Amino acid sequence: MVEIGQVSLVIAALVAAYAALASFLGAGLRMTDLSTSGRYAAYSLPLLLAAPTVSLVNAFVGRDFSVRYVAENSNLAMPNAYTWVAMYAGNAGSLLFLALVLAVTSAIALRGLSRRMPHTTAYASGILMLALTFFMVIILGFANPLERLPITPADGQGINPLLVHFGMFIHPPVQMTGLVMVSVPFSIAMGAMMAGRGGRDEWVDQGRLWGMITWLVLTVGLMLGAWWAYTILGWGGYWAWDPVENSALMPWLAMTAFVHSIMVQKRRGMFRMWNIVLIITAFTLAQMGMFINRGGPVPSVHSFAQSSMGWLFLSFMTFTLLASLAAFWWRAGTLKSREGLDSILSRESVFLTQNVLFLAVALVTLWGTVFPIFSEAAQDETVTVGAPFFNRVNGPLILTLVVLMGVGPLLPWRRASRANVVNALKYPVAAGVAAAAVLMLLGIGRPVAVTAFSVCAMVVTGILSEWVRGTMSRRRSGEPTPLAFGRLLLRNRPRYGGYVVHLAIVMLAVGAIGSSFYSVQRDMVLRPGDTGNLDGYSFRYLGVEKTFFADRVEEVAELVVYSGGSRLGTMRPFRAFYPDFRIASTRGAIRSTPAEDFYIVPSEFDEDGRAVFRVLVNPLVWWMWASGPLLFVGVVFGLWPQRRPAAETLTARALAQAARA
Amino acid sequence: MNSGPSPSHDRGRQSGHAAFRWYARAAAALICLAAACASQDDVPPLEQRAQALNRTIMCPVCPGESLDQSQHVLASQMRAVVDEKLAEGRSDESIREFFVERYGPSVLMEPPGRGATALVWIVPPLGAVAAAAGLFLVLRSMRRAGPAAPNRSPANPLSDRERESYFRRIESAMADPGRDERG
Repeated sequence: MVEIGQVSLVIAALVAAYAALASFLGAGLRMTDLSTSGRYAAYSLPLLLAAPTVSLVNAFVGRDFSVRYVAENSNLAMPNAYTWVAMYAGNAGSLLFLALVLAVTSAIALRGLSRRMPHTTAYASGILMLALTFFMVIILGFANPLERLPITPADGQGINPLLVHFGMFIHPPVQMTGLVMVSVPFSIAMGAMMAGRGGRDEWVDQGRLWGMITWLVLTVGLMLGAWWAYTILGWGGYWAWDPVENSALMPWLAMTAFVHSIMVQKRRGMFRMWNIVLIITAFTLAQMGMFINRGGPVPSVHSFAQSSMGWLFLSFMTFTLLASLAAFWWRAGTLKSREGLDSILSRESVFLTQNVLFLAVALVTLWGTVFPIFSEAAQDETVTVGAPFFNRVNGPLILTLVVLMGVGPLLPWRRASRANVVNALKYPVAAGVAAAAVLMLLGIGRPVAVTAFSVCAMVVTGILSEWVRGTMSRRRSGEPTPLAFGRLLLRNRPRYGGYVVHLAIVMLAVGAIGSSFYSVQRDMVLRPGDTGNLDGYSFRYLGVEKTFFADRVEEVAELVVYSGGSRLGTMRPFRAFYPDFRIASTRGAIRSTPAEDFYIVPSEFDEDGRAVFRVLVNPLVWWMWASGPLLFVGVVFGLWPQRRPAAETLTARALAQAARA
Repeated sequence: MNSGPSPSHDRGRQSGHAAFRWYARAAAALICLAAACASQDDVPPLEQRAQALNRTIMCPVCPGESLDQSQHVLASQMRAVVDEKLAEGRSDESIREFFVERYGPSVLMEPPGRGATALVWIVPPLGAVAAAAGLFLVLRSMRRAGPAAPNRSPANPLSDRERESYFRRIESAMADPGRDERG
């Protein structure tokens, strides 16, 4: 089985190289048959890469330690369920997973493209297959997951204990899929541009579709990662501006700018060059993410797959960046805007400002992340750029972005008069001020947090007032309220889907603000029978149960928790110590309500019965996790294909009515 | 005009009441949520200071984790040192300095604003100012390019080609009037 996989890997590498070459040559020499053969070659790759993937998973499930990668990343003590996903616990397997995902998404995207834009498709297929060839070269030359060991060991080395968690099944695949999928919208945009069709905007629908899907996958990946860190890292937080977290955030930021800016091109034929710049940035940052994650130039708590392959990623990143810029230079003449800006006070200019801010956050994050490398090289001084830096510099930028999220959708395209602006913003601003006043009255007076909450109130009011206004105007034409509301949403899905996503982002922001400014934390030493108190909760420590496993010692604490005199129940946080890795993996016990999370996690158990607990009350965190499903619904709603009257038909109808009158 | 309360008026008032009740409920729920942020603050001030301090100091042996985050033994020992020194009445700055002397400047989560390292702080605001200036210039030049591009004066609202295409569309729409109702 392993041998079949190995042979298939080699064939896949050759086919990918052929597909890249044939697509580019066929596109450049205008030989359609050649480029089509390249595309058909690309269609075969999902299958060719499925074979090595299946044989690797099979080797893990069958605990075949004669395969080096299996021996290095699993052992007999590993629970059976995890053998199915251990393939992406290390480097070589993650690369195979990335290659498989790239092959599958490429095939789907190319199939959709080829019917609509044959010229673009040839270049897009060349770009995607070039990226895949790069992965294949690394896999075969530097990190082959199916390589055999000369002697089969009796047991494997196991995986990092922090990975033995339910999150392992969902976060890594989603995150990696998101990062690698950035190449799809990139290839569509670059393909259209290289084919000389960047000025025709026909690529925009496909670019937006794949851009949004990629954005959604990246968002879900980031949220799952944050949730995982929250439950396992044992300090009660979910985001620490760690280099690996940053490297996943940066492409997300660039993609967020892209999915907004692409709407301006769709609606107004503007920002054609800018969109190309954004997608090149996103693609470069996605590769940067893989470089930081794989190469590990900066110490991170999430580096599970250290390797010396960073330089390969860095070289490929430099190559694609230079090649993209050269192509951009070559084709810039075809990317003139259809229209100019009518007024600075317009939705277009808010979009552009928002784009610049998103890039600013991405660049600040990049700057802070790589500064230690420069500092060490230039002045031989190691410095750390940690969370306080990012909070201080990115905080204000992100808050401004949330403000723009409230303002942008309320402004009309083209030109807004002063009266428009006043009219659109009066209720939202009033709500923001009212929210600030109420918070001050309640005594929740931290200026930064109150400002942030009041901005959230402004955004929500803006969105809801749009919905109310739209529903009212439909009701006036005789539709009952629920029908009017439903039709309002259904008739312009991209717009209302976008509003739903914005609401989800506000929920996320509320959770982040609440938990970062108002969290209450204590480290407490308790003996069995002792009771601790924090912020209205009291908890009695009953004792600890110690269990020995082959690879770990598990200590499960039992506590009874009360709030306001009523018994909430028993909580069982635990700590598992893995002697082979000298790592303790903790699992906090969390009681979550929309108002606040009660979080307790053991950090030490002494022999004399004392236990050290970290106890937190984290307000509003629930809203962060709850925003995920809403965001998902919003994106899917916004992307759901819609047969709707084209803009021309509406104009024609209006003119026809005018003619009749 | 009808002088009595019209049915539609009545319905309006009823839905007004319902809406008011709904608003009141929503506001009450929001205030409950906000109240979660109003902590009863039973963390002693010295411990609060220790937590804040722990978040600005790295655990030297754990990649990318602060003292506050880390589960490592060294981190918990260092936390104990922080507590001890705070109890002695030392200032936050002197405690940070104590760790810098032992572990070097990389023990601080926030890079110091001195020497070449100050660059890390200076570049972002300069970049922000440059980006804002660039954005303003781009928007202005785009606006100047704007009105010149399409040839639309009030006397000639459409170009000949545009007018022709509109007429074609009108004709097709009239030939198939139900076309845009199917959406």
